[in-house]
Order: sequence, then structure tokens, then C-alpha cells
Amino acid sequence: MSSSDAHHHHVAGPGEPTLAHHFDTQEQQNNAGRLGMWLFLGTEVLLFAGLFLGYTVYRHFYHEAFHEASRHLSTFLGTTNTIVLITSSLTVALALNAVQRNKNKLAAVYLVVTILFALAFLGIKSIEYTEKFREGALPGKWYHFAEITAPGANLYYTVYFLMTGLHAFHVIVGMCVLLWVLKGVGRGKYGPKNYVAVELGALYWHLVDLVWIFLFPLLYLI
Amino acid sequence: VADTNKAETGKSADHGADEHVHGISRYIYVWLGLLACTAITVYTGHKDLGAVNLPLALTIATLKATAVVLIFMHMINTPTANRIVFVTSIVFAIVLIIGVFGDLWTRNEMTLPSAAPSTLGPEIQVQGEPAGGMPERAPIPEPHQP
Repeated sequence: MSSSDAHHHHVAGPGEPTLAHHFDTQEQQNNAGRLGMWLFLGTEVLLFAGLFLGYTVYRHFYHEAFHEASRHLSTFLGTTNTIVLITSSLTVALALNAVQRNKNKLAAVYLVVTILFALAFLGIKSIEYTEKFREGALPGKWYHFAEITAPGANLYYTVYFLMTGLHAFHVIVGMCVLLWVLKGVGRGKYGPKNYVAVELGALYWHLVDLVWIFLFPLLYLI
Repeated sequence: VADTNKAETGKSADHGADEHVHGISRYIYVWLGLLACTAITVYTGHKDLGAVNLPLALTIATLKATAVVLIFMHMINTPTANRIVFVTSIVFAIVLIIGVFGDLWTRNEMTLPSAAPSTLGPEIQVQGEPAGGMPERAPIPEPHQP
């Protein structure tokens, strides 16, 4: 595959990394990948910061409505989803650990469990969304929920759907990334010398957990 | 950038950074800690603690996030360059929110939406409502078209 590459005569075998010609060492390539991922995660933080800012402003303007609307969410389902995501963060960390220890089968099991947690999260979220749609607790002009009529309740649901929706989109993307990592693990692509792709996929998944850690108390427990 | 990166990881590179593999017990401890924090935040979240509620919830969330970033995301032994980019983005996010909240916090009541006269029609106008109070409205107002 890389025989045409004048710089490298070494072809990566199973579990071995490929060194791109513009890097001197494997370590340098790994760290460039890590830096790129952290930079991307930094932009993700700023993306969500904009929404947290909108939340702050509207919560300040419509304090009572936000309180009432928040009490209408299911704390049970929200807490369950928090536990699901926290546990999925653990299992993806254990998957990376297993790859680093050259235990590929164990890593595959942990990744499958993580992906199942992601599906569970989305399932619970869709139960919550269905309930809100049924009640008419919807954003903006679609709001027609008779139980909470305080002005600004529709803004709470605008913020709620936007933030949890963008977060759920990240869950879906993270799930796809982990599926791709799982495919690589299944093919024996990764091992103690080649785990950066697994590490970066896991980093993305942890970010999904991080965002939820703040979303949960701010949306469900106010 | 590459040289800086190399210099920063020089120490770990000497021993081979690939040996940074920990036992799984630390992950289990962090997970148990996160579950405990979740229990505390749910328990305190629905108690009326007045002004303490929000700072407490945010403190617990920050503790949880710190544990995830340091241990699950291995920031505790990642090159400094990675810490700088991530922490910088968090600092700017905090500056953004504190700056805007500072504006809101110091505003005259008259500039708040709750003090504005209703544009929804005279039948649901609330008279004599103190500024900042939320008027009670029986009918759901029709969405008004721009």
C-alpha cells in the first residue's frame, strides 16, 4: 500500500501504526493527533457555551417560568440518562484500557456496551420528547401546553429542545465514531502500539458526557 | 508547534509514552464518585435551598466534569499543549457567560421583558403588577404573526 512512498519501506502490520511522512516519530504523530482532538473539543465547548449563554439570559428574564417548566420534566428519566451516560464514559475508558493491554476481545465487548448505552440514552430521550410533543410543551409559537402559562415557558422549551437536541446529535455522531472504532478493533487494527484512534474516539465520547453533566442539573433540577 | 510538542512530551518520550497504562481501579473509583455526585445533585436539586441551589448544582457539576477530564480523558498526563487549548476554551466560555450575566444583573428593571407592557392585546394586560413579578394569564395567547 505504501510501497510508492519513498520515505517509508515499512508497511504497518496488524496492531501497528502507520507513520505519515510529515512526522519524524510515532510519538510526534500521536501528539499531533491528540492536540488536534483537544482543539476540536475546545470548539465544541464554545459551541455549547453559546447555548448555555442563551439559557442564562432567558432564565434570568423568565425565572419563574423556567422553574415551573423544569419541574415538568421527568427527574427519573433525566437521572436515568445521567447514569447511562456516566457509565458509558466508564466503559469507553475501559475499552481504551483494554486496547492498550492488547485485549482486543474485551475492548470490543466494552465498545459494544458503550454503543448500547448510547442507544439507551437516545431511547429514553425519545420517550421524553414524545411526551412533550403530545402535551404541546414545544418551542416558540408551537407551544400550547395549558398547565404552564407563565410567559417564557415556551422559551424554556426552545432552550430545552435546542440544547438536548444538539446534545443528542452529538450522541449519534459519537455512536458512529465508536462503531468505526469497533470495526477497527474487530479487524485487529489496534493494539498497545496503535491506540490513538481509539483514544480520540473515546475523548469525543467523554465530551458528550461532559456536556450532559451540565445540562442535567440546569434543565431538570431548577 | 511540533518542536514545542516534542519538548513538552520529552519526559514521557524517554520512557515511551505507550507505557501510560493504568490499572482499571482508578476508573471504577471515578465512576462511583460520579454516581455519588449525581445522587447528591438530584437530592439537593429539588430541595428549596434558596440562593444556594444554583451554586451548589454548578459546583457539583464542575467537580464531576473535572474528574471526567482529568481521569477518563487522561488530561492528568496529557502534553501541556493539549491542556492549554482546552482550558483556554473553557476560560473564554466562562468570560462570555459572566460578561453577559454581569450586564443582565446590573440592568434597570424597566429594561427587563417582565416590565414591558404586553403586546398580546388589552384583554390580558395586567394592571398594577410590580416590576419583575410574573403576571397570571388564563388563556394561552395565540401566536402573533409578524
